[in-house]
Amino acid sequence: MPSALATIGIPANLEQAIPQLDADLLSHDARKNLLARSFELRSGRERPGRFWKIDIEALDYSALNVPASVSVKLSSPQSSRATVCDLQTALRTHREIVERAAGSAVDPSATKFAALSAALRNSGAFVYIPADAAIDGDIEITYDAASGALFPYTLVVLEAGAQCTVVERVTGSSGAFICGITEVVSAENSTVTYAVDQQLPLDATVLCTRAAKPGKDARVNWAVAELGAGLSVTSVDVRVDSPGVQADISGIFFPRDEQHVDLISNVDHNVGNSFSETIVKSAATGHGQARYLGNIRIVPDAQGTESNLRDDALLLSKKAHIDSVPALEIAANDVKAYHGATVGAIDEEQIFYMTSRGIDRESAEKMIALGFFEPAVARFPGEALRERLRAALEEKVRS
Amino acid sequence: MSDRGLRINDLRVNVAGNHILKGINLEVEPGRVHALMGPNGSGKSTLAFSLTGHPNYQIESGTVTLDGQDVLSMAADKRAKAGLFLSFQYPAAIPGVKVANFLYAARQAVRPGALTPAQFRALLMEKMELLDMDPGFLGRYLNDGFSGGEKKRLEMLQLAVLAPKYAVLDETDSGLDVDALRAVGESVNAMRKSEEGKDTGFLIITHYPRILQHITADVVHVMMDGRIVKEGDASLALRIEREGYDTIREEIGQIA
Repeated sequence: MPSALATIGIPANLEQAIPQLDADLLSHDARKNLLARSFELRSGRERPGRFWKIDIEALDYSALNVPASVSVKLSSPQSSRATVCDLQTALRTHREIVERAAGSAVDPSATKFAALSAALRNSGAFVYIPADAAIDGDIEITYDAASGALFPYTLVVLEAGAQCTVVERVTGSSGAFICGITEVVSAENSTVTYAVDQQLPLDATVLCTRAAKPGKDARVNWAVAELGAGLSVTSVDVRVDSPGVQADISGIFFPRDEQHVDLISNVDHNVGNSFSETIVKSAATGHGQARYLGNIRIVPDAQGTESNLRDDALLLSKKAHIDSVPALEIAANDVKAYHGATVGAIDEEQIFYMTSRGIDRESAEKMIALGFFEPAVARFPGEALRERLRAALEEKVRS
Repeated sequence: MSDRGLRINDLRVNVAGNHILKGINLEVEPGRVHALMGPNGSGKSTLAFSLTGHPNYQIESGTVTLDGQDVLSMAADKRAKAGLFLSFQYPAAIPGVKVANFLYAARQAVRPGALTPAQFRALLMEKMELLDMDPGFLGRYLNDGFSGGEKKRLEMLQLAVLAPKYAVLDETDSGLDVDALRAVGESVNAMRKSEEGKDTGFLIITHYPRILQHITADVVHVMMDGRIVKEGDASLALRIEREGYDTIREEIGQIA
């Protein structure tokens, strides 16, 4: 097909990396096809405006060093019934479960960055919670992109009635590159919280695809903080294919300097009597740029669905932009759907109120901006994580 | 200390080009209660906002001094630090900022380091009890989802906790039920008896005299069309309650 895309081609370094990669779950041929697929597909991330300086379709991967394998740091509460291991171990110990669950929430050939991630997968983690096991305390997964480009696959599987909280931390040095897939596959009556704390250096790149497929009456709670990286292009999805699901998505991001953040959330209500609440709070300062696209889809048969989307953006400098687009596509007629979006500077009346109590303007702005994030921060698991996020936000507000 | 007092001299203020205050002269003395009464639209709230430094209120001329310090050249936070307080008629809601944290930040800004956090908490509990406020208030977000009465009680709690030299209460009585009004009165009276608050001068802005049944005014000023047109003692408030503002308007019309 003659198009401008065909001329971009697949960088040789990526093609050459494939033979060194593991061929257990994905054969080398399958990886090659996914790589080709990735460069055929458009990301679907159109440039939101002239202010947006990075062309997501034409990222330069030619300098990436793709290690054959990158280890992942894992920790889980002691003596719990959780299985928490790297992906290669899981293929030995829980192969059947991995094969059953993998791909049920994310089709790696469907989107550009999922295809890229799967093609070059060189790291991964597996979390398995057996039926009715409630795991107290956080399961922590730390991906470190300090030693080369990282293409992690995280698979979280909960059996019926199981409960757990997973906190994913993403670390790395200057220039870090991460392109990952996270799938959460949970059975009926299970409860899972999956939190992401990404605080990479400001020249890092993050391209992540995250999706959950909860079972009947299951609760799934995504809490995603994309505070680091120069470019963060991520999606957070919940596929609601079973009734009684409660799906929550919380997102915070805060580009400053030249940071670009592009976040898309999708909640697909494919059956009725399901519930979702999406809360995204963002701010931008300096030349920080962001786009948030919040999609809620309710199919014709999904009667009795209740869905809320709340998204607020705070602009703290004249050169900062946040393009915020809530998009509700509702084909059923017996549903409750609400969305609200605001973009603006800090309200002068709020500043005046605080300064009239003796608080100086700078401190007032800081308190108001931090408070602005709080309804989303409050939905992240654990006081330690919340404090870490508050500290990162405070540092950004001050800069 | 001859320059003590909150002194307003020939203050002229416009809002978006409209002349609202047309030469206000008024002095609030330490430890005394001044009532500022007047019909709707006479400029009472404009005076309150002008005193506290709201950016939308343009000072055309005149002076305001607080115990001798020039108030009008100060930013809003400096005015608060100098000892000026405004109880807002419609305080802003600030989601995500907890009442307790805000009160502590404000107290530290206005009276730095005077109390340990434990002492501060004790002070809060004592003042909240006077105002019939549930301790659960402290964990709520500032004015976020508060009823009108809750907002007014929180303004009074701030007054009590900050113990300013001069307090301007803008229509604190409006929208309050009888019990809330009594609680506000008790809180102000308790503050006036306290060590921190015994010298506080009050300017109580109201168009109904009913708050003055709970807090006795030493002086009543009547404002109409951007000017102070009459001053008197507490009996003036009673006259307004009986006769409304019309007879005063007629009286000053005859003088002019």
